[in-house]
Amino acid sequence: MTEIDLLPLRAELKKQFQDKIPNAKIDYCLTCGLCASGCMASDIEGMDPRKFIRYLALGQDDLLRNTNWLYSCSICQRCEYACPMGINVGRFVYELKGMRPKEQRPRNLQKTCDYQKESNSTGIPNEDFVWVVGDILEEVHANEPEWADLQAPVDKVGAQFYLNQNAKEPTVEPEEMVPIWKILHTAGIDWTYSSKWWDGANYCLFSGDPSEWEYVTRKQAETVNALGCPTYISTECGHMFYATTEGLKRFNIPHNFKVISIISYYAQWIREGRLKVDSSWNTEGLKFTVQDPCKLVRQGLGDPVAEDLRFVIKKVCGEENFIEVWPNKSNNICCGGGGGALQAGFPDNRRKHGKAKFDQLHAADADVVITPCHNCHAQVMDLAEHYGGKWQTTHLWNWIVKALVK
Amino acid sequence: MAAGSVLVIGGGIAGVQAALDLANSGFLVHLVERTTSIGGKMSQLDKTFPTNDCSACILSPKLVECGRHFNINLLTLSDLVSLDGGPGSFKAVVRQRPRYIDPEKCIACGLCAEKCPKKVSNDFNMGIGERKAAYLSYPQAVPLKYALDPGHCIWVNKPGRCGLCAKVCPAGAINFDDTVKEHVLEVGSVVLALGFSRYDPSPLDFTGYGRLPNVVTSMEFERLLSPSGPCMGHLERPSDHREPKRIAWLQCVGSRDINRVGHPYCSSICCMFALKQAVIAKEHAQGEFESAIFYMDMRTHGKGFENYYNRAKAEGVQFHRARVHSVIPAPEDSNNLQLRYVDEQGQVNFAEFDMVVLSTGLQVYRHTVELATMLGLELDVDNFIKTDSFNPVATSRPGIFVCGAASEPKDIPQSVMEASAAAAEAGQIMAPARWSETSKKVYPAEMNIHAQAPRIGVFVCHCGINISSVVDVEAVAAHAKNLDGVVFSQCNLFTCSQDTINQMVSIIKEQGLNRVVVASCSPRTHEPLFQETLRDAGLNQFLFEMANIRDQDSWVHQQEPEKATAKAKDLVAMAVARVRSEGALPYNTVPVTKSALVIGGGVSGMTAALSMAEQNYPVTLIEQSDFLGGNGRKVYRNWKGDKFLPFINELSARVTTHPQISVKLNTEISDVTGSVGKFTTTFNDGHSFEHGVAVMAVGGKAYQPEGQWQFLYGINPHVQTLLELDKRFIDEDASLKEVKQAVFIHCVGSRIPERPYCSRVCCTHAIDSAVRLKELNPDMDVFMLYRDVRTYGQRERLYQEARAKGILFIRYDLEHLPQVTDKDGQLVIHAHDPIIDANIIIHPDMLVLATAVQPRQQTGVLSKFFKCAVDSQGFLLEAHMKLRPVDFATEGVFLAGLCHYPKPMEEAIAQAKAAAARAAIILAYDAVPAESVTAVVTAAKCTGCGLCVAVCAYNAVSLDENGVSVVNTSMCKGCGACVAGCRSDAVTLKNIGNEQIMAAVDAAFM
Repeated sequence: MTEIDLLPLRAELKKQFQDKIPNAKIDYCLTCGLCASGCMASDIEGMDPRKFIRYLALGQDDLLRNTNWLYSCSICQRCEYACPMGINVGRFVYELKGMRPKEQRPRNLQKTCDYQKESNSTGIPNEDFVWVVGDILEEVHANEPEWADLQAPVDKVGAQFYLNQNAKEPTVEPEEMVPIWKILHTAGIDWTYSSKWWDGANYCLFSGDPSEWEYVTRKQAETVNALGCPTYISTECGHMFYATTEGLKRFNIPHNFKVISIISYYAQWIREGRLKVDSSWNTEGLKFTVQDPCKLVRQGLGDPVAEDLRFVIKKVCGEENFIEVWPNKSNNICCGGGGGALQAGFPDNRRKHGKAKFDQLHAADADVVITPCHNCHAQVMDLAEHYGGKWQTTHLWNWIVKALVK
Repeated sequence: MAAGSVLVIGGGIAGVQAALDLANSGFLVHLVERTTSIGGKMSQLDKTFPTNDCSACILSPKLVECGRHFNINLLTLSDLVSLDGGPGSFKAVVRQRPRYIDPEKCIACGLCAEKCPKKVSNDFNMGIGERKAAYLSYPQAVPLKYALDPGHCIWVNKPGRCGLCAKVCPAGAINFDDTVKEHVLEVGSVVLALGFSRYDPSPLDFTGYGRLPNVVTSMEFERLLSPSGPCMGHLERPSDHREPKRIAWLQCVGSRDINRVGHPYCSSICCMFALKQAVIAKEHAQGEFESAIFYMDMRTHGKGFENYYNRAKAEGVQFHRARVHSVIPAPEDSNNLQLRYVDEQGQVNFAEFDMVVLSTGLQVYRHTVELATMLGLELDVDNFIKTDSFNPVATSRPGIFVCGAASEPKDIPQSVMEASAAAAEAGQIMAPARWSETSKKVYPAEMNIHAQAPRIGVFVCHCGINISSVVDVEAVAAHAKNLDGVVFSQCNLFTCSQDTINQMVSIIKEQGLNRVVVASCSPRTHEPLFQETLRDAGLNQFLFEMANIRDQDSWVHQQEPEKATAKAKDLVAMAVARVRSEGALPYNTVPVTKSALVIGGGVSGMTAALSMAEQNYPVTLIEQSDFLGGNGRKVYRNWKGDKFLPFINELSARVTTHPQISVKLNTEISDVTGSVGKFTTTFNDGHSFEHGVAVMAVGGKAYQPEGQWQFLYGINPHVQTLLELDKRFIDEDASLKEVKQAVFIHCVGSRIPERPYCSRVCCTHAIDSAVRLKELNPDMDVFMLYRDVRTYGQRERLYQEARAKGILFIRYDLEHLPQVTDKDGQLVIHAHDPIIDANIIIHPDMLVLATAVQPRQQTGVLSKFFKCAVDSQGFLLEAHMKLRPVDFATEGVFLAGLCHYPKPMEEAIAQAKAAAARAAIILAYDAVPAESVTAVVTAAKCTGCGLCVAVCAYNAVSLDENGVSVVNTSMCKGCGACVAGCRSDAVTLKNIGNEQIMAAVDAAFM
């Protein structure tokens, strides 16, 4: 048994957090265990959110600085969501990640942040992005005559909408960019990409570096401000939505645009009739379920966006083909891939964390799992492969296009 | 002159108690109730803790008494809309909404509800199932009058449509033209008993409530258990009406939560509520049953609660010290529910249940806030009505008092105490106008039955399903019809409901009954009600017998219904056999000596004395020591930060200078004779004193740490008790600031086999002392070693404040007691932290022991003087733990303070005022009823041996000049000691003589 000699009690980390973070309610902990019972990373590396807070209170700072649980906690904030005292465990995890010397951080995680500071998270040159967009557009024009007037504008000053992009698509699966173009085109949206700071992701949030997170967000905001777009559409990605909206708020970054999740727009455009979708394509009765991204729903827009998400999916696949999972919406369990877990290594821990998500999706027994988030997408796909899930893991855009009535 | 009437707002148990106390002590009461009937939350409960009494059964007699009381003007569907004036002369305007059914005409036949086509969600059943727009909220409702729901009645909303109820009502009671009435009332005081609402967990998606049908609130579960509920007491779960075999309770839903809920306080009652439900549900479920309670701290801080908790553990209720994050459908059967929880060791567990009950917290009604605002009353931070630390029923506006959960979450006994306390306060204001506005009940002339052959009526009670689910009550009634002398018998759903009572009066008259038997529950609770019914019908009340076919039959023979039915028949036959030869008895009275004796000069005793004195009754206050103030003088302050000494000094001064109070210090009792109305007490100085009532407020004492609980107390100078630390606070000991590490150990001597009760005050007291240390020196390390933190009610805020200040709480259990050692004078404490499974070593320069509160040794001796009971721990035992918390079974004697159970000062004050109010009910009369069932001597058989004189505990028997025994009926209690003692069969008890007993024996074995 560990011995802790309190002569006197020194809880330096706790004190630092309390001095720095407004409303850091570490001392309020009732040790009720509600956080741990709702955390799918509980027991990984012998840690759980309650123990984490307890170690803070008892001044076990070295243990906390060194635990790799920091990279299993996805900062999904499900613990804080229901904690009777509202203790934000994730915030302390974030701080601790940032307090690690860079050389002691998981290498890959730090690398993505470093890339991000240059331009984007995969490190491809900006010109390559612009070229890929043009190239893919040409391909569409060539192969799909009905989309001959499809556009993918870049740096169109004064466009009504700015669209961000995750670097993963232009780098490894560029054709995955096309569905959104088609959707925006059909809805008659005047939009543009940017040729720089086009990646909406912000991996420095994952590494715990506020200054670098701020730097990247500031660059992104400056870019959109310069283009003069009044609306910033954040694509299907919980991380990107959160990193942008929270970054603008936390660092008080001046900006002349509002940030809207594309999920909200999908629903709005369908309701308004700007997008016409029909589920008649689904003659086989493919069953759909959904993964609610923590950052978009619980920490973002709450149940209303989860309801929008379901509205769109049901329109697209047919009401009767949608399978709900429990828990869901704002209380959904994290896939275990966010918060940098996918980039940090520790795949065993990550998959252990994700096992609950796998079990939930497996029990739903759907053919398609909609993952409107890049982290969820990658993690759910990996879980299916690792644990033997038979479903198809995809973004929502593909199915909207499939159901589109032109 | 002050008005002699009072306004009581709210018809729950607190309002009803306040109304009865005031009406019974000479005031006219206007009882204003918002809904169609009185009864409040308690009427919705199935059973009550810790006695497992049927809630409706113990409540109903009070409601009926309220409904029938000559000096209670019951205004249902009413709201107070304005109040002007001040203490002694308020002018209140009460607006009464239309009932649309004339209560004077309604005979409660129920035809209107039967024919009404409009179905409405049943609010009395917490929305489970439906009622009609013409409705009676529950079977025992008082007044037993139907009403039309204006929100849903078709005619009321679209006149001319429907109207079916009016067509079928045989009494012509439907009045669609009923209108709002305004009552302008001149009153001397106002008592608010506004009650509480329950937190609605719908916003807490993770609980599953409103999303998963088998997740219910504790109030909904109560209705599911209740015989008058939607499933008639046969527990079913909502989704598929299957009987649940595995139920989990989740505690603190809507309490102790500053995140999503915004209620930082503890709701105080939910732990016991859940325990009770777990125990009762197990009784419901025949066979295998699994119950589990998921909790943070088990708060069983009331009298008898810890025993109840221990019993529940022994009976197999599982307790998990873990809060569950989410309730989700179980993987295999989505009607079932899955809980994932992490135990204290950090182990992840899964458990599946058929049902989950959310122990939802208490909160104020929105209209309480509105009313308080209208009245200009201050609210506290949690929107409860703000009260004073030293007058827990006083609001911020003079003349307006508050009782029950509107001022803080609290249980029924505490609410009842406060109700009586509020009555005392109102009574103080209105004392000069006592009896000025009341009228007196006149009974019809009593029928002379002397020469009549017995004509016995038998009423057999279903008691909802309490009896009828086991006993075939119809068969019992049929059997009774054939008994000798019985001319009438029938069954009733609830014999104590007002309609049945009224019907009984008519039946007695119509059938010419001259004796009555009720086969139902316990005469202890219901005999007075039925006896009064006989009087209303013109019969002498002693021509009555009860057969207890519930407590002594259906409850104890649940597994053998046939035998239980046979036994019920025998019990009824025995009661009939007894009543057959009974005769009318006189209504004896004893004149009341209008003065009171208060025993104990602590805060409770002084408060009780002052309250009675302020009501103009002379009081003698005796105190064993040479000073007033008792234990209160040893305590620094309460949890709200109010210091005790200034208050106690002021109280002592008021008591010693009050013209109606005579204080006798250094005084003990050496003898007591007499009974209610006239006691004669002799003191150790040889003086005697006559008094009509007595209040026992003899206090308690702190446990002296010993054995495994000694923790070097008395050995190492740095170890002290809470009271010793208090002395240092009072003395402003400067060395306290120098303390670097302080440790408090909770539960020293409490909650252990020798003292299986929680001392209730020590968690709050210890935490407040710890906070005080932090105030003196914010850098001090303070550790609390606790078992469960029991900062009930709003004291939870103090616990939160303590944590926020960095005071660290480490839980211990009986298997891991803290180890306290002395290393060259330095204290070293080893404690185990269960969360991270670590051995914590602390080197405090101060160790404080939160020691138990115990009864004083003298309590037992004193209780014998007044023939009062004590419990197994030596605390005084009240007449009924739930509804008579300050009375003794012995009439005319009352109790208050620590001698009853450990309690903080504000509760002791409330209880003392309550005792004063209850005592004032006796003092208000010139004479009180005395025993009618007294002993009689057949002079011809008496040998004058004097044994009867020797055995009589009441000095009621003496030998006359001829050496023949005579009984003074005003002193005789009818105990029967002389009857049993007499060797020549010369003494007998009226109506309980050999004739009746032998007849009953014959009936039993025939």
